[in-house]
Order: sequence, then C-alpha cells, then structure tokens
Amino acid sequence: MRYDSITEAIGNTPLVRIDPAVHGLRHIDLYAKLEMLNPFGSVKDRAAWSMAGPSLDSAAERGATVVELSSGNTAKALALLAGMHGLKFKSVTNRMRVPEIKELLLLLGAEIEELPGQSECLDPTDTDDPLTRFHQALAGPDTTYLHTDQYFNPRNTEAHATGTGPEILKDLDGRAPDWFIACVGTAGSSTGVARALREQDPEVNVVGLVAHKSDFIPGIRTIDEVHQVGLFDPATYDTIESVTADEAIDGMLTLIRRCGLLAGPTGGAAYHGAVRHLRTVDTELAEAGVTERRTAVFIVCDRAESYLSYVRQRRPELLGRPARKNSAASLSEAEVRAEATVIDTAEARRWIEDGQPRPLVVDLRGPHAYAALHIDGSVNITDEIFDELVRGGLPFSKRQPVLLACPIGEKSARYAALLARMGHPDVRSLSGGIVAWRDAGAPLVRD
Amino acid sequence: MRAPLYLQPRLEPPLDSLLEDASFLHSLVDSLGSPLNLLLPDRIVENAAGFRGVYHKHHLAGRVYFAHKANQASSLVRRLTATDPAAVGIDVASLRELRHALECGFTPDRIMATGPKDPEFLWLAARTGACVNIDSPTELDQLARLIRAYDLPRTDILLRLSEFEASAFATSGTKVLSRRSRFGSPVREVDALLDAVERHQGTVRLTGVAYHLDTTGVAEKAVALESCVAVMDACRARGTDPRIIDIGGGFGVGYVADAGQWERYTTELAEAVLGARPALTWRGHGYGLRNEGGTLRGAQALYPAHRPTAGPGYLDELLAHPGPSSGRPLATLLLEHLYDLVCEPGRALVDQCGVSLARVLDVRRTGQDSDDLLVRLGMNAGDVSLEEHGVLVDPVLLPRPGPQDRAEDGADEEPVGVYLAGNLCLEADLITRRKVFLPRLPRAGDLLAFANTAGYAMDFHAHHAQRQPVARTVAVTRQEGSWRWCLDEEYWPITRVGGPVS
Repeated sequence: MRYDSITEAIGNTPLVRIDPAVHGLRHIDLYAKLEMLNPFGSVKDRAAWSMAGPSLDSAAERGATVVELSSGNTAKALALLAGMHGLKFKSVTNRMRVPEIKELLLLLGAEIEELPGQSECLDPTDTDDPLTRFHQALAGPDTTYLHTDQYFNPRNTEAHATGTGPEILKDLDGRAPDWFIACVGTAGSSTGVARALREQDPEVNVVGLVAHKSDFIPGIRTIDEVHQVGLFDPATYDTIESVTADEAIDGMLTLIRRCGLLAGPTGGAAYHGAVRHLRTVDTELAEAGVTERRTAVFIVCDRAESYLSYVRQRRPELLGRPARKNSAASLSEAEVRAEATVIDTAEARRWIEDGQPRPLVVDLRGPHAYAALHIDGSVNITDEIFDELVRGGLPFSKRQPVLLACPIGEKSARYAALLARMGHPDVRSLSGGIVAWRDAGAPLVRD
Repeated sequence: MRAPLYLQPRLEPPLDSLLEDASFLHSLVDSLGSPLNLLLPDRIVENAAGFRGVYHKHHLAGRVYFAHKANQASSLVRRLTATDPAAVGIDVASLRELRHALECGFTPDRIMATGPKDPEFLWLAARTGACVNIDSPTELDQLARLIRAYDLPRTDILLRLSEFEASAFATSGTKVLSRRSRFGSPVREVDALLDAVERHQGTVRLTGVAYHLDTTGVAEKAVALESCVAVMDACRARGTDPRIIDIGGGFGVGYVADAGQWERYTTELAEAVLGARPALTWRGHGYGLRNEGGTLRGAQALYPAHRPTAGPGYLDELLAHPGPSSGRPLATLLLEHLYDLVCEPGRALVDQCGVSLARVLDVRRTGQDSDDLLVRLGMNAGDVSLEEHGVLVDPVLLPRPGPQDRAEDGADEEPVGVYLAGNLCLEADLITRRKVFLPRLPRAGDLLAFANTAGYAMDFHAHHAQRQPVARTVAVTRQEGSWRWCLDEEYWPITRVGGPVS
C-alpha cells in the first residue's frame, strides 16, 4: 500500500467476525466493522474528511479557522486535517469530559473553548444560551470560520452512505446484514450506513443505541440529546435502546480481552447493545426451528487508549495495581501517631537555630504556595514528588536531620513516620504545620 | 392517562414530619389565612453546620455567610445570630438588609456588605464596622471618600473579581468560557485596583478577594478560585497580608427526590415539545425548548431539580477539584497558601427550612373542548415563585381532616394531572405552567404545601397587586414533642413557650 496522503487511508476498514464462543449466539454471525483502524483512530475520520475536504483549500486561502462543536473524535480528525492544510482548528464544547482527549487535541494544535455551565439562579426568560451565542458568532460579519457543523451537515451522513455502508455490503458478498447496530452520536454513521444497506435490502433491521440518561458514554448521546441533532430521524431506527456506562465498559472488556479488538467504550456499548438485542432474537429463531444463519454488524468507533481515565473513574479495580513499597498511604493513623516524631513551632525554631548539625527543612507544599511564603532556608519538595522519591529509598543521608513541614502537620507526620520506618534516625514533623507556624507569629519569607 | 409524571419533593427532617401533621397546618391556615409561609429556623443551623463540616474535612478556617436576600424573614437571621460567631456570618445586599441584620443581633464583624450599594448603605457599613465587598474601583473611591469625610474607622474590604479566564493564568491550554457577570472588577485590571487600595491605605484594610459566579459548572469556579489564589499571592508580594478568599454561593439545592422521576419527566417534556405525546404544559409552553422541523432546538430553561450533589456536597466536590493550572486540589491550594475560605450560600443554607401553604378554592374543567382540570388556589405566582426560577416540583396534598375526607364517590381517588391557577385576575397567573400530577383530585378546603420554598421562592416576588393578601410568615419549632409556632417577627431564639428561657 502506497499513498500520497494519509487521507487516502481513510475508509476501507476491516469487517471482523466475533467468535461465536464469545457472544454465544447460535444462529447469528456477528461482525465488527473496525472503524478504529481509520488513520486518525475513529469512525469520525470519514465524516471529517467528507465535510471539510472540499473546502480546505479555499479556507486556507482566506486564512480561515476550522471550527466544530466537538469534544472528541471529530475534533481530532479535523485538527489533523486542518494542520495538514496550514489551518487552525478550534473546538467548542460543552465540557471536555475525557482528559486524554483534551490533551491529545492540544498536542494536535487545537484551540479548545469550553462553554459555560448552566446558571445557578436561573432566569427562564433568558434567551442567551451559550450555543445560540456560538452560532451568532459564526454568522457574524467578516467571519473567517469554516464551520463543519457535524450535527446538521448532510455530508456527514453522505460519507457513510457512500463509504462505510457499501464496504459492509461488499465484505458480506453483496448481501445486507439482517441487523445493523450502531451507537447514535451525530447520527451520521447510523443514518448513512442504514441508507446504503436498505437500498440493498429494505428489510434490514436497524438498532440505534443511546446512553442511559444519567450516564455518560463518550461519543454517544442520551435519548434527550439525540433530538437536538439535525441528522437524527427516529424513522431511521427500528428500535432505540439505551446502554449504561457500566455495560459499555463490560462490552469493551470483552472486545479487548477476548476478541483482540482494542475498542473504546463506544465500541463496547455497541457490542453490548448488539448482543443484548440479538440474544432475544436468537432464542426466538431457535424456538421457531430456523436453521439458516443470519448476520449482524456493529461498529467499533474508536480505540481504548484515550479512555483510561474514564475507566479509572468508573471501574478503578480494572486498573488496580498491587500496593507499592514505601508508601505513606499504607500507614494507619495509629502507626503515624506512634512512630512520627512531632515538634511544635517553638521547639522547631530552637532546633533550626541551634541544631548541631542544623536540620534540613523540607516544605511539602505546592511550588506556588512555597514561593509566596516559606520558612527561611527551607527547600521545596512537593508531596507528589516526595512520594515518588521515597519509593526508591531514603532521599537524604542518615546523618542529615530533617524537619518536614506541610500546611497543617498531617502529611508531614505521615512522611516522618515512614522515613523513621525506613531507618532515618532523626526526622521530625512540624506540628500544626505552616499554619501553626504563622499563627505563632514565627517569620515567613519570600525570596 | 399514562403513568403520572410525579416530581415528588425531597423532604428531610423536620420538614417531613411537619408535613405529616395536616391538622396542625390546617389550623394555622384557618387562623392566619392563605397563603401562609412556614419557616423552620432550627434547620438553618444544621445546614450551616453541614457547610462547616466540609471546611473541617479539608482543614480550612473561615466563616459561612448566609446570603440574606434568599429570604427576608427575621426568624432565620435571629436563629443564626445565636450560633458560633466564628462559624457563621451574614451577607447583606441592601441598606435595609444591613439594618435588619444589626437589629437581629449580628455584630458588625460578622456582617459582609455585598451587591450594588448606595451611599447610605456604604456609610452605615463603614460606620458600624461591617466588611465591604468592593464591586468596582469607583465604589472603592466612594467608600474611601465617605470614610475620610465622616472620620469613620478604617474599614475591612474584600475585592470582588470577575471575568476569569483559565488561559490567563494557566498552562492547561484550554479556554474555559465563563458566564458574564455584571458584578466585580475584571481580574485583568487587578493591578490598578491594588494601586487604588494602596492609595486608600489609611481608610481601608484589604482582607481578601471574592468572586461570585452564577453557574453550576465546577470547572469555571475552579478557574476563578485558582486565579484568586494568584491575586492573593500578588497582594503578598506587594507587602499586604490578606487572608480571605470568598467564593460566593451557587451550591444548589436538590428539589426533586428521585432521579428517575426527573429523567422521565424531562424526556417526556422533550417528546411533548416534538409533538410525540400530549402536551405537558399550559398551551404547550416549551420551557426554552422548541420544535424546528422535528429537531429540538433551544436550551431547557429549567433548574436541575434533581441534583445528586448539592449544597455542602457541591462545596466538597469543588474543594476536591484540581486547580486547572496547578493540578492540586483547590482545598490543598487554599491550605498551602494559608488562606481562609468564605462562602455565601443563599438557597443552599435555607434548604428544607420552609414551606408555603395554599388553600384549594375550587376545581373545574378549563373549558368545554378540553379535559384539562384547573385547581384554583388562595395564592398567586408571586407568592411561590418556583416558576420564576425554573424549579419544577410537586406540591404535597394535605386533605382537610374531617368527614369530607371520605370520598363521596371514590372516583376522584385516582392520580390526576391538573393545572394550578392563582388568585389574580390575569390569564398568566398560573402557579406553574406545568401540568402537575397529584395522587388524587384535590377538593375545596384541601391544602397544597409547596415544600422547600425558603430559598428565593417564598417571598422573592410576592407583591400587593390586586390587593390579594401577601403570605404571613410564621416560625415553627418542635418543643417537647409538639409543634409550636409564632409570627416570624415575634421569633427570638431565646424564646420558648411561656416566655424567655432564663
């Protein structure tokens, strides 16, 4: 395969059969359309290229900025496409909820604007909702934006009607599957694929999956939110069902651990929703004594790597690691009390003045707090860094006495106990911390 | 009828047990008329303790200030007067609120003057020694002039800041757009403001900075709070030693108990706007949503009535939230920089503190061509302005005790959807534009109790238009196992039945 541009690698993704031993369906062959293997990593590559591609050259001439309401994969694809054409990309969003995606977008050179939250003292007559303001800004005079408008742009749907859908048909030897299951985000992929499949066979059963209302699954809308999408037409779907975040993660785990597919939670939601829906049908087929095999296709939108913090937040045990050694967190309150040497401000001042040798004062606070005010002569090792340091062993010589200080003497006592346990003979904690030091009228400096 | 779309209120002690005592409530309305506001002053102390508990958890010092504008009653203010002076203060936003706080017994060191201020308000604040939350450089100049002209004591001030932008201080790369506010001085002009403070050093003493953001978004508040820490550090670099960061209010209240009810209702509301189900609102009102060719447009202009975290829980979440640039939890930042926390909850501090009662006057069909039922109440939309704040929650039906409590025909014991009309001769006077579902059809003489109205809803928009009675307010306390009441203006925290506690 040899290409002149990475955009030529968009599309033509594989259709992979899921092992029946995994999904347990006896009469249905289930296939995953691996949109995660698009070059920018998601199904959105197609829509982004379809929507922006034709306008990029003229946009470059007038120095326009590409702008989209997206917190995820569309933004990612558009940012890369914009960069290839020397254009800036701006993503406007209702909250970037997945930190890895946010950082990845920044790495790609995107500018991110997060829209404000809802008013606490609500004024129901207020017409100035943030999205209205956004659209006003785009429509203003002298605008230099190329707004791809993924929720209303028919070229979004078109990309799938002419690309994704026909590819599925080709790989199924020209036959449409009996079921097509897709998560609904912009509704572009589900609508476009459904159109192509139904042209081949109007009997195709289309299942739309939305997120459970109180849950958040990246890239999927809830049943309320889909109504706000211009491309969404309820008539496209024979059924709309909801999936919880937990189920999405379960599905993702199955795809990753048992199928070798490095899918993200959206793909997991599609798999889970597909199997749940098809299981009922499968039983009915068995009861009816049907012997011929049926086919179902679902879409794996993107990859797992960007969603580790999403998983960590919801199912930390999946990323669980054994407790590490020399961890301050492993000490109980009683152990800290019994093993930490604690001294008050007056005693600490005497020790700093007259100690032989004098103690090294370590301030465990953040660097800005330290810079603003600290005990004269102290060094700043922020607790997070200190935590890493002690994991490897004692960070000071045993002949060097140490006074640890934190805001109120809680963290420092914990580390004092830990260092004592690690064999340091003279480490003490400032009781009541910098707060008590200040309240006692002891001097604090900024250098 | 489809399953009734209840939005049942969240009821906690002692409001829940008060609402179980229907005969007590009926006797109150019989004596004092409809509408009637009830306040539970003891509960506000518990709420303040809840906020202080969050302070303690994060090892933070500082007061919680009650934003007086949330409710004008004396009993709540007086009850707070009698709490720990180091823990609770009051935030007043007008001359009369300041006078009220003083006459209820708040010492000036526990009073913070905020909001738009006229010269009289500024003068009295400075005269008595209240802390002034400075809104603009002009206001600072005005205050300093008054202090010099009338030889007033040096006055403590906080600087209220606004227009925070994450990118101004942060390296996070994203720009968090904030809701615009007409209060406070833009943070980018803080240097000029600090110059002015230095010029007025003889008259004012800078004790800290403040912000108020009208948003439910934690991320925006995190940007503001971290920016305030940076400004405070800048003050230190200039040689002053302010201690307080005042993060305002906006911690929210959960009005509806059940998340499922709220989710189902809002989904059905969207369906109704799209025409996929019968209307749920008076004349198809969309609460900010509209149907454009089958696509839902606009924004749902509703208070998020079910909130999994609100009040102290929201404060806890905010304090645990990482600063956008430092990545350290906001509570840790405050603690490490040795700053005290001040907050000013209004609505959240009077959560569960009050209820508004209205008598059912009659029930009828709206017209010949409609099955809609109209329940007319001895109250109007101004008396319980839930609609004005976009708060959707059901009233509690309190049947009139007595023989008529037995259903004559049993047919009206089914759940029913009704519209609640007020006592003004105005087409627009509906208590709420939503069809309200009740467990059975109310009858004349029943009471509807609107729970949890003490924050903004109870008397915020009440007026004398059309000479309808404005609700009287009574304070209710539990003593020796039974409910006691007195007129709000007669309540003092030291008073018990039979006279003051000696």
